[in-house]
Amino acid sequence: MNGWEFAAALTLSGGVGGTLWGVATGPLRRRVVAQNLSTALACPALLLLAQGYDRPSYVDLALVLALLGPVGTLVFARLLADELAEDPPRAWGVTYAAAGVGAAVVLALCVATGPSRALVKLLAVGALLIGGNVIASRALAGGFRGVRRG
Amino acid sequence: MADVVIVVALLLVAAAATCAVLVRDPVRQALVLAVLGVVLAVLFTVLQAPDVALSQLAVGSALTPLLLLLTVRKVRRRARQEGRGP
Repeated sequence: MNGWEFAAALTLSGGVGGTLWGVATGPLRRRVVAQNLSTALACPALLLLAQGYDRPSYVDLALVLALLGPVGTLVFARLLADELAEDPPRAWGVTYAAAGVGAAVVLALCVATGPSRALVKLLAVGALLIGGNVIASRALAGGFRGVRRG
Repeated sequence: MADVVIVVALLLVAAAATCAVLVRDPVRQALVLAVLGVVLAVLFTVLQAPDVALSQLAVGSALTPLLLLLTVRKVRRRARQEGRGP
């Protein structure tokens, strides 16, 4: 049990546990935001686990999650557009908090990795994670109305 | 002490699966199922099975909710048409 694994356990229990509570209770607008945040917080946890187990190939998991997590949220944003248009979710505070957690984890891992090819991969994962998270949040809030009606 | 991550992941999977059963509305259930897929992938990673986790991520995070929501949409549309008819 090293510090990286402990940080991953903290992220999982605090972050993903909290989003699990959010997704199981409350109105629909809170549930979709919590679903988006669950992928945005599980991705840093996977990165921390890859570092904790000292297996750089595990970073692929975080890469796939950073790609597919926002895709899943966009599926919900598209197919639940009618329900969400009546009661649009506005949760930029938690979205940017999750993006900040992701950025902090990626930065810490970059410092631990040092300049190499793995660093480029980490930065790509971080950019995908934060960009996808913000785009998915904007789609949930009804930011792409023209696309949604299409 | 070394198994804290495994215990956390197992507890999360148990809680997510219980929530998926207890939530009754299919649309909200799809949301909980998406979270359950991600949590299961984390559990597989913690148990050192990254290949299983990779396929679980591919299926669980986007494909399962998409299929569920499309099915719900089709069923509702058909119910609306039958309600409108004679």
